[in-house]
Amino acid sequence: MKSNLYKYTFITSIIIAFLFSNNSTAQENDISNYKMMFKFNSFKQSDNSRLLEVSFIAKNKKDRKDKVPVYDAEIKFFNILNDEEVLLGTAKTSKEGIAKVIVPESQKYLTDADGNINLTARFEATEALDEEEDEIIIKNLNLVLNLAEIDSVKTVSVKAFTIDSLGVEVPLEEADINFYIESMLSKMKIEEGSISDGEYEFELNKEIPGDANGNITVIAMIEDNDDFGNITQKKTVNWGTFNKITVEESNTLWSEAAPIWMYVVLTILLVGVWANFLYTIINLIKIKKEGQDEDEELEEVELELKIDK
Amino acid sequence: MNLNNRKRELVKEFSPMLEKTSLVSKIWIGFLIAIILVGLYAFILQVIKGHEVTGMRDNVVWGVYIINFIFFVCISYSGAFISGILHFLKTPLKNSVSRIIEIITVLSIVIGPVFILLCIGRLDRLHYLFLYPRIQSPITWDIIAIITDLFGCFIYLYLTFIPDLAILRDNDNLKVPNWRKKLYKFLAMNYQDTPTQRERLHKITKTMSTMVIALAIVAYTVLAWIFSLTLQPGWNSTIFAPYFIIAGLYSGVGVIIIAMYLIRKYFKLEKYLVQSHFTWAGLVLLVIALLYAYFTFSEYFSKWFSHKIHDTDLLNTLFTRYFWQFIFANYIGVIVPLVILFVKKFRTIKAITFASVVAVLGLWLNRYLIVVPTLETPYLPIQDTRPEYIYYSATWVEWALSLTGVAAFFLFFLLIIKFVPIIPISGIIDNERDELEKDENLNKNLTE
Amino acid sequence: MENNENKKGGTDRRKFLKLGLLSSVTAVAGTSLVSNLATDEESKTSGEKIRLLTPDGKMVEVDADNINKYPEALITPEESRKGIPNRKFVMVIDLAKCKNARKCVESCQKAHKLDHHEEFMKVQLIQNNEEGSPYWFPKPCFHCDEPPCVTVCPTGATFKRDDGIVLIDNDRCIGCKFCITSCPYSARQFNWGHKDKFDDKSQPYSPETSVPAAEGTVMKCDFCPDLLRQGELPHCAKSCPMGVIYFGDKNEDIVTNGEETVRFSQLINDRGGYRHLEHLGTKPNVYYLPATNRQFPLERGFGDDEEINERYKNVPYVQELKKQGKI
Repeated sequence: MKSNLYKYTFITSIIIAFLFSNNSTAQENDISNYKMMFKFNSFKQSDNSRLLEVSFIAKNKKDRKDKVPVYDAEIKFFNILNDEEVLLGTAKTSKEGIAKVIVPESQKYLTDADGNINLTARFEATEALDEEEDEIIIKNLNLVLNLAEIDSVKTVSVKAFTIDSLGVEVPLEEADINFYIESMLSKMKIEEGSISDGEYEFELNKEIPGDANGNITVIAMIEDNDDFGNITQKKTVNWGTFNKITVEESNTLWSEAAPIWMYVVLTILLVGVWANFLYTIINLIKIKKEGQDEDEELEEVELELKIDK
Repeated sequence: MNLNNRKRELVKEFSPMLEKTSLVSKIWIGFLIAIILVGLYAFILQVIKGHEVTGMRDNVVWGVYIINFIFFVCISYSGAFISGILHFLKTPLKNSVSRIIEIITVLSIVIGPVFILLCIGRLDRLHYLFLYPRIQSPITWDIIAIITDLFGCFIYLYLTFIPDLAILRDNDNLKVPNWRKKLYKFLAMNYQDTPTQRERLHKITKTMSTMVIALAIVAYTVLAWIFSLTLQPGWNSTIFAPYFIIAGLYSGVGVIIIAMYLIRKYFKLEKYLVQSHFTWAGLVLLVIALLYAYFTFSEYFSKWFSHKIHDTDLLNTLFTRYFWQFIFANYIGVIVPLVILFVKKFRTIKAITFASVVAVLGLWLNRYLIVVPTLETPYLPIQDTRPEYIYYSATWVEWALSLTGVAAFFLFFLLIIKFVPIIPISGIIDNERDELEKDENLNKNLTE
Repeated sequence: MENNENKKGGTDRRKFLKLGLLSSVTAVAGTSLVSNLATDEESKTSGEKIRLLTPDGKMVEVDADNINKYPEALITPEESRKGIPNRKFVMVIDLAKCKNARKCVESCQKAHKLDHHEEFMKVQLIQNNEEGSPYWFPKPCFHCDEPPCVTVCPTGATFKRDDGIVLIDNDRCIGCKFCITSCPYSARQFNWGHKDKFDDKSQPYSPETSVPAAEGTVMKCDFCPDLLRQGELPHCAKSCPMGVIYFGDKNEDIVTNGEETVRFSQLINDRGGYRHLEHLGTKPNVYYLPATNRQFPLERGFGDDEEINERYKNVPYVQELKKQGKI
């Protein structure tokens, strides 16, 4: 009953919404005006696991700025060889329209004769949305990052190779590679280069503070490569020039505790004044006592007064 | 022993003030209570609806309340300062005014801080000041100074009350209710006016009066520092502390003269408050007016001459939006009293009182011009479209509460002078005793 | 007449939609969205809406709170006094790139649940001198190293942490407003009256989020330490479409605007970075890069919002433009 009632409210509200939808700023709700963007990416991470990521977003055909993420859509990730489909995992899209699956290093992929891995992400059609599929074909590239001081020169080097079916390392012929320094909120590019014959090397002669312990994390990344996808490798080394700012535990105007002299002056002033108040009060009590002693005397005086009169 | 008879005579003379409440006084008291009730309503409104009911907003966060706070507190400090100094002067004139000054001192130190409480957004958290104190904050200094000063002034006032309370206690002819007699007895602390008691009381009064002067100077300074320790263009001035002392004395002496005039008139005390009281007070006011004019001139002149950009902005505000207020506060408020007090012919009681009224009003406005235009002219220009956020104008709530402060001041004054004689009887006795002793000495010398 | 109706229709429509969607969500049982979003009908609506497309083809506008769970680790007022270890946060604002898009202001307001006029980040129009051309000047709290506001606070309600951030604990604030008068940059605001949003206790109070605000207390820009703890940029920096606002850790000497990551020292040295009103000695942690080689003409900053434009009417340059009929 209740849900029916709600249903009607919903329908009414939709009808009314359409009535007023000639408003120029109104956002469109008709999904036929939207084009689906289904993008699949593979990231080989520094621990050699593989992050598979799908971004599923509806884009307005007219208004380029109007992007609506598809939320809670189930995405399936497969490793495909010919007719054989191995399900690597499923994930639902987040509110940003992103679904992620991490495939561990131990995963054995099906590869063709050239060592290519076919990875596919698939969204199965619903009544409203069509099926979406995206595939990438990459080779499993191994990236080895090495940070060493050679003749007291801080040297960053990488080796990149694939392993053929016989287990022999085949150096990567050519690929662009970028190097970054990891920071708290982002990563800073320090070198752009190109791997040839499976190797690249450069000297890190910039002074970089690193973290509090002087540790620098260098990231090597091959990005959006047609043959290998994204590959990341990172390593930490104690090359930082971080000067731990020795914060003197001094009491300042804005710290919790005040400069010592302030306490001293305040105490002297307060003790001085309040001691005086106390002295006054003690004297008042003495006056009171003296008055009590004088009581008899007073009576005599009063007597005298009466006599005077 | 005719001094005891004198005491009786004097009590009889002042008893109408103590025993009866005249119709005029009753009307006054009723009127004052009515104002206070309106103020109470305004206060409840402010508590319920929040500070939204005031004219204060994000730029001008302090308004009439803080001005009243400075005004009253400065009157108190100057009262303390003057009565402390009077204590060391050997003139029979001082006796008639000393109590007026002391009552002003105590009342304004009670009323002033109430205004700072009205400024506080969370009165329910007031105890945090003592739970989490930070002694770097000038507010903390001010709180300590005010509390200390409050205690000091109360003790001092009480010390000066004791001999009179004893006289009132010992006088059976006074027709006052029993509870008042009991109160006199309790408060008089067995004071019998014996030489040892008198000497002891004189001794502690003397140290207390020194203390009160010192306290007043410290408290003034700390009050000025609330403003001058900030970075704001109109406030960050090294001469603010002495300037506040002089300005405070200016308004303080003005208020004392006005009080003398009103008391003289309504209680018919022409015998005790004579022309020379007004002349002397007027001369003091003259000297302070000169100093005040000098400080005011130095303050604004150096800003104008060096014309730092933000100082210039402030002066622009003062000379455009606040032109007439500025003229009244810093020209008329100084020049009119100066002229009246400078020319001997003009020094009548009424004229001197008029000069004081102008001085006091001018000074209040001067304080307004120190607080509000500065806050309306911050370093970064105010870019807002809501007029109440750009310019400050006090609402009826603020005015009602300000008037309540003044009304409470008058009401308490009336009540206190119903409790003790406004002219210290003991002081008159002391003077007469001194003269007697002098005569005796003279006689002795002559006979020898 | 019709125009009026249209305008009204806009807000009405939104209301109806909200109602409709909440109800539709309860009605259409079985979809996973339902179980996620509508389990508790009582959940309060914060007013913040995000638009999503569901797999069954519905464009929905849902309450962000239902999806946006706040970080589970609540930083209590006590913990928030310590700061993030070994960090020293710094902001660099590139005036050459600012075109008064006001995205920083809006996203900050949204995140801190501020009303239209409550702005932790303000964009001012500044003209250094009569000859100099005016420029847009985004102004957050400067989180000074010698903060006058902290010095004068009588209860320690506002404090400076080891990571350089100056925060306010509105549980401690007594509302004396001394900090507001002592801040030379007008960075602080006061909650003058009661607002319903203060009663919303769905999110526990933390000085790091400044939400919910409280009547009779002071508030200001907080550099979003809640986001920093998650390794994210503050809302203003994140939302700026021009990448005007760089933010980072001065100890690492790296700042980023989300797109570009650069050395802080190099940026300041190469571009002549400066701090506003340096002579006051407050040592701000917000640096500005001068408005040279501007990427946008100033006029682009005058948007459609009459009210916003009206704010700058006192700037001589604006008066001149108005005279010429350009705005």
